Amino acid sequence: MARSYLFIPGNVPRMLTNADVFEADALIIDWEDAIHANEKDEARELTIAYLESHRPENTRVYVRINSDEELIAKDSEALKGKDVDGIVLPKASRATLSLYEKLFSDKEPFPVIALVETPAAFFELGEIAAHERVHALFLGGEDFRTAIGAERTENAEELLFARNMVVLAAKANDITAIDTPFTSLKEAGLEEDCRRGKALGFDAKSAIHPDQIASINRIFSPAKKEIREAKRILKRHEEEGSMRFSLDGKMVDRPIIERAKRLLEKARLYGMTDSEDDR
Amino acid sequence: MKKEIITGSLESSDCLIRVSPAEKLEIELETVVREGFYEHIKNLLEETAKAEGAKRVRITCKDQGALDYTIKARLQVALRKFKEEGHG
Amino acid sequence: MRETSLATLLDKLPLQDGLTVSFHHHLRDGDAVMNMVLEALKERGLKDIHLSASALFPVHTAAAEAIREGRIKDVTTNYMNGPAASLVSKGYLAGGIVMQTHGGRARSLINKERPVDIAFLAASAIDRDGNATGSFGKNPFGSMGYAVEDAKHAAVTVIVTDTVLDKTLSEPEISAQDIDHHLVVAAIGDAKGIMSGTLEVTKDPVGKRIARDAVRLLDALGVFQDGVSFQSGAGGVSLAITEGFNRILEERKLTASFFSGGITRYHVEALEKGLVERLYDVQCFDDAAVESLAKNERHIAISASRYANPENTGRIIKDLDVVILGASQIDRDFNVNVTTDSYGKIIGGSGGHADTAEDAKLSVIVGPLFRGRTPLIADRVRTITTPGRDVDCLVTERGIAIHPSRKDLMEILCEKGFPFYSIEELQEISHRFTGRPVEAERKERIGYVESRHKEELDSLHKIKEE
Repeated sequence: MARSYLFIPGNVPRMLTNADVFEADALIIDWEDAIHANEKDEARELTIAYLESHRPENTRVYVRINSDEELIAKDSEALKGKDVDGIVLPKASRATLSLYEKLFSDKEPFPVIALVETPAAFFELGEIAAHERVHALFLGGEDFRTAIGAERTENAEELLFARNMVVLAAKANDITAIDTPFTSLKEAGLEEDCRRGKALGFDAKSAIHPDQIASINRIFSPAKKEIREAKRILKRHEEEGSMRFSLDGKMVDRPIIERAKRLLEKARLYGMTDSEDDR
Repeated sequence: MKKEIITGSLESSDCLIRVSPAEKLEIELETVVREGFYEHIKNLLEETAKAEGAKRVRITCKDQGALDYTIKARLQVALRKFKEEGHG
Repeated sequence: MRETSLATLLDKLPLQDGLTVSFHHHLRDGDAVMNMVLEALKERGLKDIHLSASALFPVHTAAAEAIREGRIKDVTTNYMNGPAASLVSKGYLAGGIVMQTHGGRARSLINKERPVDIAFLAASAIDRDGNATGSFGKNPFGSMGYAVEDAKHAAVTVIVTDTVLDKTLSEPEISAQDIDHHLVVAAIGDAKGIMSGTLEVTKDPVGKRIARDAVRLLDALGVFQDGVSFQSGAGGVSLAITEGFNRILEERKLTASFFSGGITRYHVEALEKGLVERLYDVQCFDDAAVESLAKNERHIAISASRYANPENTGRIIKDLDVVILGASQIDRDFNVNVTTDSYGKIIGGSGGHADTAEDAKLSVIVGPLFRGRTPLIADRVRTITTPGRDVDCLVTERGIAIHPSRKDLMEILCEKGFPFYSIEELQEISHRFTGRPVEAERKERIGYVESRHKEELDSLHKIKEE
């Protein structure tokens, strides 16, 4: 139920050491694009040493592994038995997933966040999302844009179809949908991009800089209005003792009640249930 | 066969490790936290080197305020690569 | 008397060995006056000089040279860094070093505890009647707050300027009646040098986290109300807190009564947006503050005595609600060190730290639990700048601690479910990262830190030559 996933380069001690203070719900320690080919060994060793001595307690930790066979093999060897919540699999496809299955052959393989970033992946998306290890779909907008030769537009129109597809495939399989990071370091545009993703159905957003976390957390938290509404629905549900009743002239039934429960659970997790009493 | 292996960096909170052949185990340390941690870091380098079975190596560490986990990881990678290069 | 040659002027002044000369630091790292005077005194062969300066910066190389050569015997100051500070730490003073506070310096000048023989005070302009100001001229630096008591209480006051105005100033900061000589030189320095140190909101994400939590803490404690008064320094984290403070005032349509101390463009913005009624400015940290002081009626220059002198019942900071302060170290009794590093080397000094911490209703120390590998929290700080009894809260990136005597604050936070730790717990957390540093031994004494009330707070010791 994380709102924000923050990328931390796997070979920068200063960033790793402080990864727990940026208020991200989840960290993605990067062994792929952020790491130069001749620093892969150092990044692995440093990340593992960090996790063994200072793994943050209240933050989920994922590792973005590499995508070619030789490197995945070393990555899987390094991660064996380590305390991580899962891996982020780049260039997710039928092929990379079977490579993953082959190389991560533990009794309990790690949950996978599938990074959807190649055009071909969209034609296998249902299968990727339905894979038993895949717990979330994550749109990699930057690589996708490059791969299809699209231009960056102000409203990210070039990503709209891909965003819809990722959300649909995730929701059809009852897994999490994580939106692509906002890749301009200018603050302006971030909030709008978060709202756009949330409106399309994404559950969370990734971040490439700690400065992006506050906006992401705020926008991907339940709104005060939503919390109030959910509380009213559940209160009425208790009073009526029924799964079907009308509120303000509208029918309320099981899916609505379930959604209200999930929303309040999320609100409670992020300490927001009293927020309407503030100010 | 590379004569010298270098790991880490001179960024703050990191350290630069150089490993090269020598007659015996030699450790040279330069650190920005000399007053508070010189002996501690020297011991850490020595223990890590011994645990990796390093005997005839010269290790120099230029420390920029790195924490133990960083120093240890940097040295371990350096010593392993050094071995992979065929050094004792 | 107006002179254009320092040498001619010095012929008229009562120069003798053991002389006490004073300077202010409003030009900060752009000051040329202290170097100019100390070089001239060297030519005269003066010895055993007592240097009384409100602060010393890296630009003050002539002071460093005079310390190295033994011509300066004693130093009294509120803050020092750069080569002069480094030589003092290495034990080059034959006499000693006394580190005062801004308020304490004003008190001691007024009480003539360390009487000043000659004050050489930079002014950015004088008017045709001989009044002096820090606004206008070629190198405007704004408030002259730290120079006012020197001018009034030194035996001889020399104003050094590079601009003579052909008019009468309506509000001069130093009145002609307090001035004995005017020296007009080519340049008093470079006003751009006042923008030394960190004058931008921090870009460091750890610093930003500390600032967010500090603002959250202030909010939980109910600080945001109409009429609140606030002071924060010019460090990157302090400025991020000022920015957060202003944002809440704006969102909730509140007006603060005053901001005091060193003033930056972030304070000026708040004034111009109507978020705060008045700025009490004892020193300008950037050109936006300098410009604002010259044109805004509600931006008021104040003297160090009106700012923080503990014996001045009308001092501004006695009405201060909140002050945000930094630390090089803090200990388990909440004593704060901003004078030396963890190993005793002088790197700063109180300035207004100890003054505001004592007077403000809520004093909040902010800083990262460790810098590189050096922990913030020690069992005992190397040097006490501000006693723990005057400190209420500590905000770090990994938690907040409240002084045990402030049960009232703890109750408010408990009621709101706002998390905090004991300072021992925070120290424990930091040691999990850094380990425990070895304490450097204390070598011979070189001087002491003086509280604003004139007590000796802690001693300063020689450090090893590198």
